[in-house]
Amino acid sequence: MRYFFQRFLQLLLVFVIVTFVVLVVMRVGSNNAQELAIKLAGRPLKPEESDALIQQYNLDANFISQYLTWLKNLIFHFDLGFSPQAGQSVADLLKPRVWTTVLLGLYANVFGLLIAIPLAVTQAYRRDRPFDKVGSMATFIAVGIPGIVLGVFLKLIFVVQLGWFPSIGDKIYPWDDLHEHFMNFFLPTLTLTIPVAAIYTRLLRADMVMTLQSDFITLASAKGVPPHRVVWKHGLRNSLFSLVTAVGTQLGALIGSAVLVESLFDLDGLGSQLVVSVLSADLFTVQSFVAIIVLIVVVVNLLVDLSYALIDPRIRQARALG
Amino acid sequence: MSIGSTTNITQAALRDVQGPLLELTDVRTHFRTPRGLVRAVDGVSFTLERGRSLGIVGESGSGKTILSRSIMGLLPSKGTERSGSIKFAGTEVGNKSRKEMRHIWGKEMAMIFQDPMTSLNPLMRIGDQIAEPLRLHLGMSKADAAATARRLLQDVRIPEPDRRLAQYPHEMSGGMRQRVMIAIAMACGPTALFADEPTTALDVTVQAQILDLLGEQRRERNMSLVLVTHDLGVVAGHTDEIAVMYGGKLVEKAPTKRLFAAMKMPYTEGLLASIPKLEDQSHSRLNVIPGRPPDLVNPPKGCRFAPRCPYASARCNEEEPPLTATQDDPNHSYACWYPVGSPEYHEARARINASAGVN
Ligand SMILES: Nc1ncnc2c1ncn2[C@@H]1O[C@H](COP(=O)(O)OP(=O)(O)O)[C@@H](O)[C@H]1O
Ligand code: SF4
Ligand SMILES: [Mg+2]
Repeated sequence: MRYFFQRFLQLLLVFVIVTFVVLVVMRVGSNNAQELAIKLAGRPLKPEESDALIQQYNLDANFISQYLTWLKNLIFHFDLGFSPQAGQSVADLLKPRVWTTVLLGLYANVFGLLIAIPLAVTQAYRRDRPFDKVGSMATFIAVGIPGIVLGVFLKLIFVVQLGWFPSIGDKIYPWDDLHEHFMNFFLPTLTLTIPVAAIYTRLLRADMVMTLQSDFITLASAKGVPPHRVVWKHGLRNSLFSLVTAVGTQLGALIGSAVLVESLFDLDGLGSQLVVSVLSADLFTVQSFVAIIVLIVVVVNLLVDLSYALIDPRIRQARALG
Repeated sequence: MSIGSTTNITQAALRDVQGPLLELTDVRTHFRTPRGLVRAVDGVSFTLERGRSLGIVGESGSGKTILSRSIMGLLPSKGTERSGSIKFAGTEVGNKSRKEMRHIWGKEMAMIFQDPMTSLNPLMRIGDQIAEPLRLHLGMSKADAAATARRLLQDVRIPEPDRRLAQYPHEMSGGMRQRVMIAIAMACGPTALFADEPTTALDVTVQAQILDLLGEQRRERNMSLVLVTHDLGVVAGHTDEIAVMYGGKLVEKAPTKRLFAAMKMPYTEGLLASIPKLEDQSHSRLNVIPGRPPDLVNPPKGCRFAPRCPYASARCNEEEPPLTATQDDPNHSYACWYPVGSPEYHEARARINASAGVN
C-alpha cells in the first residue's frame, strides 16, 4: 500500500511536470499579459475584456502562479478555460469527446487481450507446428502494417466499396444507442485492435514458450496435471510480465493511432478535435488535451503497476517490505 | 480419509501383479538433431523389484536424466525416437502416449527433480501445489486435500506445516523446497519414485538429511526408488543396487556392497577415485577421469570408454564388450574386456606404474 502510494505520488509529479511544461511552452512566446490574453481569446480584445481575462487567469504573474491558477480552476471549478474556435468552454467541448477516445483505447486493449491470450497460449503449446507457424506469420504481418494504412484499407473496402457502416446519427455512445454505437465504433476499433492484438500475441507467445520449458512445468506434468491445466494454470500466469508491461508502454502509440483513426472514420473524439485546436492555436484546448492524455497514461500505469503485484507474490512482498 | 488407505489401494493393486515392478529391455532413446542422431540412451536393460532401490550413477551427460524420463515417458515427442520395452508392474508403458501416462504420473510413478529452486511454481502456494495431485488423482475435496497436504509436510519433517502450506516457494530454503518436492511426490502414494540428482543443488549438510528422508519414506511406503546421481558417494549408503551408466549404456550393475567390494569396470574405478574425500581439503580433484564423455552422435566403435581407459588395448577399440554377469554373482554384471582384477588389468597397471616411475 505504501509502495502504491509512492507510485501514485511519482505519477502525480509526472502529471504536474508535463502539464506545467506545456503551459510554459504555449505561453512563453507572448511579450506581455495583454498579448497573451489576445492569444488565448483568439481575437482582438477591448481593454476591459483583456483586463478581465488577465484577472481571471492570473496572466500577469509568473508561470508558476499561472500554472497554479490553471490547476486551481481545474480542480475546484472544473474550469479548463474556453475555446474561441468552438465558441464554448473547453470542458463542454471535450467532455463528450473524451469518451470516444477512452472507449477506443479500452476496446482495443480488451479485444486485443481476448484475441492475444488464447492465440498465444495455443501457439506456445503447439510450438513449431502448423498452427503456430501460421499464427506467427499472421502476427508478424499485422505488427508490420502501420495502423493508418490498415484503417484506410478497411475504410476503402467496407465503407467505400461495400457501403457497409454508413455514418448514421451522432448517438455514438453505448449508453445512448447500442446499435449506432456499434456501427460507428466497429471499424475504428478493428483498426486499432489488429496491431495491438498482434503485438500482445507475439510478446505472450515468446514468454509462454520460455515458461513451458521450465522445470516446474515438467513437474506439473509429472504430477499428472492435464495439459490444458498445465498451460493455463501453471504456464499463463508465469508468462504475463511482458504482456502487462506492454499494455502500459503501448498506450502512447495507441492514443496516437486513435487520433488518426478518429479523423479517418469521422468520429468525434479527442483526436479529431486536437487537430482542429492545434491548427487554430486554441491554447486552452491543447493544454487540456495534454492534461487528459497524461492523466489517462498515469492511471493506466498505476493499474499496470498494481497488476504486477496481483500476479506475483514475490513482488507483492518486496513492495510490502520496501 | 488418510494417506495410508489411499496408498494401500494403489499399492495393493500393483502388488498383486507378479514379477518385478520395473523391467527394461533394450531401451533406446535417440534425439534427431541437426548434428545427427543423439544416442542419449542406447540399449539399457535392467529390472527393479518392488520396494527396492537402485542408484544410477555416471558423469554428467551419460544419459541418466533421459533414461529416467524415458521410463516415466516424460520426454517431448518431437524429434524423439524411442524403442525397447519398459514394463511397469507387468504392463508395457514404453509405447504409451503422454495422455495415457498422465494417469500413471504422480499416482503410480513420481519424480523429484534436481533443482528445487526452479521446480516449484513460483506463483502458487505450497499447499495448493501439494493438493493438486490429490484432488486430480484421488478426487479429494478441498478440505481433505488440505488436511492431507498438512500431514505430508509433517511426514517430510517440515516444522509449522500450517504456516508453510500458505507460503510461496521463494519463502523457503532450498532444503525445505526439496522436502516439499518429496511431499508432492509422495502425495498419491506412488509405487515408483524417480529422484534425479535430488541433492546436487543442496548444501552438503542438507544433502544427507534429504537422502535419509528419501530412504525412510521408501521403506515406510514400500516404494521402489531410482536414485540418479553423478556422485557415487551419494548412492553408496542409500540404495540396494547400483547401475553405472556411461555414454548411454549401463556398463556395470551390482548390489551396492558387492560393487564397492569387487568393481569390475575401469570406469567405475575412476568414478570411485573421483569421490571427494572429506579429509581432502583441496578443491583440485586430482583424480577426475581425464578426457571427455563420448560424443553420442558418433560414439566410439568398440568400448565407449576406450579413449579414456588407462587399460585399453587393441581389442577395446574394435569390439564392444557386452554386459555379462560375473561368474560368482549373477546379480553383478559388467561390460569390459579387461576388468579390474584380470591378468590383463594387472599387466596394464604394471606398465603404467613402470612408465610413471621412469619419468
Ligand atoms: N532434447 C534433446 N535433444 C538432443 N540431445 C539431448 C536432448 N536432451 C538431452 N540430450 C543429450 O543427451 C545426453 C544425455 O543427457 P542427460 O540424460 O541429461 O545426461 P545426465 O543426466 O546423465 O547428465 C546429453 O549429451 C545431452 O546433450
Ligand atoms: S573394455 Fe577395454 S577400454 Fe573398455 S573399460 Fe574395459 S579395458 Fe577399458
Ligand atoms: Mg541429469
